[in-house]
Amino acid sequence: MFRWTKMGKVFDPRSWPDRPWLQEFAQAPSAVLFDDFVRIYFSCRPASDKDGQYVSYSAYVDLDRGDLRQVIRVAEAPILPLGDTGMFDEFGTYPVSVIRDGRQFRAYYGGWTRCESVPFNVGIGCAISDDGGCTFRKMGPGPVIGYSLDEPFVMSGPKIRRFGDRWILFYIAGSRWKMVDGRAEPVYRIRMATSDDGIAWTKAGLDLIAPRIEADEAQASPDVHFANGHYHMFFCYRYSEGYRGHERGYRIGYASSHDLTTWHRDDDAAGLAPSLQGWDSEMVSYPHVFDVDGRTYMAYLGNQVGREGFGLARLDGSRHAD
Amino acid sequence: MRIEKMGKVFDPHDHALTDGCVSYAQSPQVLMRDDGVRVYFSTRSVDAEGGKFRSRIAFVDMTADLKTVTGISGQTVIPLGDLGAFDEHGIFPMNVIRVGSEVWGYTCGWNRRVSVSVDTAIGRVVSKDGGTTFQRLGKGPVLGPGLNEPFLVGDGFVLRDSHAFHMWYIFGTRWIRESAAAPPDRVYKIGHATSVDGIDWIKQDGVPIIPDRLGATECQALPSVAWFGDRYHMVFCYRGVHGFRTDSTKGYRIGYASSRDLIRWDRDDSGLGLSGTPGRWDSDMQCYPHLFVLNDQLYLLYNGNHFGRDGFGAARISL
Repeated sequence: MFRWTKMGKVFDPRSWPDRPWLQEFAQAPSAVLFDDFVRIYFSCRPASDKDGQYVSYSAYVDLDRGDLRQVIRVAEAPILPLGDTGMFDEFGTYPVSVIRDGRQFRAYYGGWTRCESVPFNVGIGCAISDDGGCTFRKMGPGPVIGYSLDEPFVMSGPKIRRFGDRWILFYIAGSRWKMVDGRAEPVYRIRMATSDDGIAWTKAGLDLIAPRIEADEAQASPDVHFANGHYHMFFCYRYSEGYRGHERGYRIGYASSHDLTTWHRDDDAAGLAPSLQGWDSEMVSYPHVFDVDGRTYMAYLGNQVGREGFGLARLDGSRHAD
Repeated sequence: MRIEKMGKVFDPHDHALTDGCVSYAQSPQVLMRDDGVRVYFSTRSVDAEGGKFRSRIAFVDMTADLKTVTGISGQTVIPLGDLGAFDEHGIFPMNVIRVGSEVWGYTCGWNRRVSVSVDTAIGRVVSKDGGTTFQRLGKGPVLGPGLNEPFLVGDGFVLRDSHAFHMWYIFGTRWIRESAAAPPDRVYKIGHATSVDGIDWIKQDGVPIIPDRLGATECQALPSVAWFGDRYHMVFCYRGVHGFRTDSTKGYRIGYASSRDLIRWDRDDSGLGLSGTPGRWDSDMQCYPHLFVLNDQLYLLYNGNHFGRDGFGAARISL
């Protein structure tokens, strides 16, 4: 079992009132290391429109590398514009995962559109930064990884990794929409694709993590890293209905693998549960694990899936004690 | 080329259709049969709530001279897709090919959006009963949006040669408004993809293969290709981006191109020479063409006024 020491909430979007596009939420944290700071990309929202509908943007906060609880700066503007009329990312760019690629940075993000019979659809886009990860230009107007026979809609939650020469994209794919109290809710699973260049992708075509708490369990944030000779995945999962409270809301799960295809799920090992009180007492979700100067950290969301920001936890010991 | 119009050969109002459909027989596409042809088309039902159309596939069996109807689909040919799927709100059109003992259908599935009216993608369905009913192999499409083909991938037409499957299809490039208060209108172009198995396709991703005649906002749809004589012939329909529903001078016309290698296409719309007949069913609009060879004769099926509301007609083409 992993043992984490919680460091508390480190970023609250409500502390930055001069940024109207950053009113609420700091979701799906994703880290990139710089010499003096750790940049955490996240997704946020301006206030909702008159119909209660949100759009979402992605941005970053830079944390002091020597003390990750200290915020150095916050992005002045979103890193990506919303798409034009009719594009897959017209109504949102969430979540985002950023990786260094030589002198450039590459971002994979979920693009949101609005549909008539269901509330939304999501596709995965790709964008490149030439200015040190501050702003990104889209590689094209459409998504980089498409819908297919058994991944028909809601392609979201990208997490980009490079293991050896291969690009690996972990993501979620919807399998069906179910009606819950008159509202369509997507059922989705964790999936994977591989690529030589990060643009042309080959899908693995299988669910990586079997559902545990119920058949329609929703899974998100497949965050994979390699340590101690095998692959570790932290992710989050919840019930398909009534998930906006404590009982059935998000929890953080864990699985390990030697080949990226066969995963052994062991949620008890994840070691990060909701607190008894405070900002992460209802639920914990969207884990992202990263190393800084010999220590391992997890960024994660608390109550209301990050409406009030994200926090950090530090792994006890210098490396995973598994 | 010389074109000999045969007039309208099918009117949906003269027949009993299934699934609550009454009007429209759009985008006729043939399947050869021993005793004639089966022509698949898209007809429409109307939603009880909201009053919007849903396109649905039906077929009519005709004698080889296209003059006599011998049968019509008496049950649902393929149901529409599930909640949230790409083909939930309609299938229009469907292209069919025989592969061994099966009939494969390439569907264009429609799903409704909020900021724009619709998106589409191409699905693949299979019939094991000779083309009477078709089943999906999955909920999703086989050809959908990509990096440089961001939306409205549809109108797949598949041709199989000794090396590969070829698909000509359309992809959207942008949505533009005629005025600030007008709803957005779509622009789409014809593209080309290849496949070894008819399932996994390699697209050129954003490369239009037919040059524009009406400028960058020309809309090109329904490519259909046949080998006849000494080359490949492609028909398609094209129009301007705005006003095409109400202004007959801006409606669909039939375009034409030819190729010897399936790579370079020479566009020559006047070479086909199809025009509307004043006062008749195709006076204002000619659209959704389908080209095929039957008994060593090149035929064209197409729709006329009102996007095929009142049926489709035929023409014989001589080189």
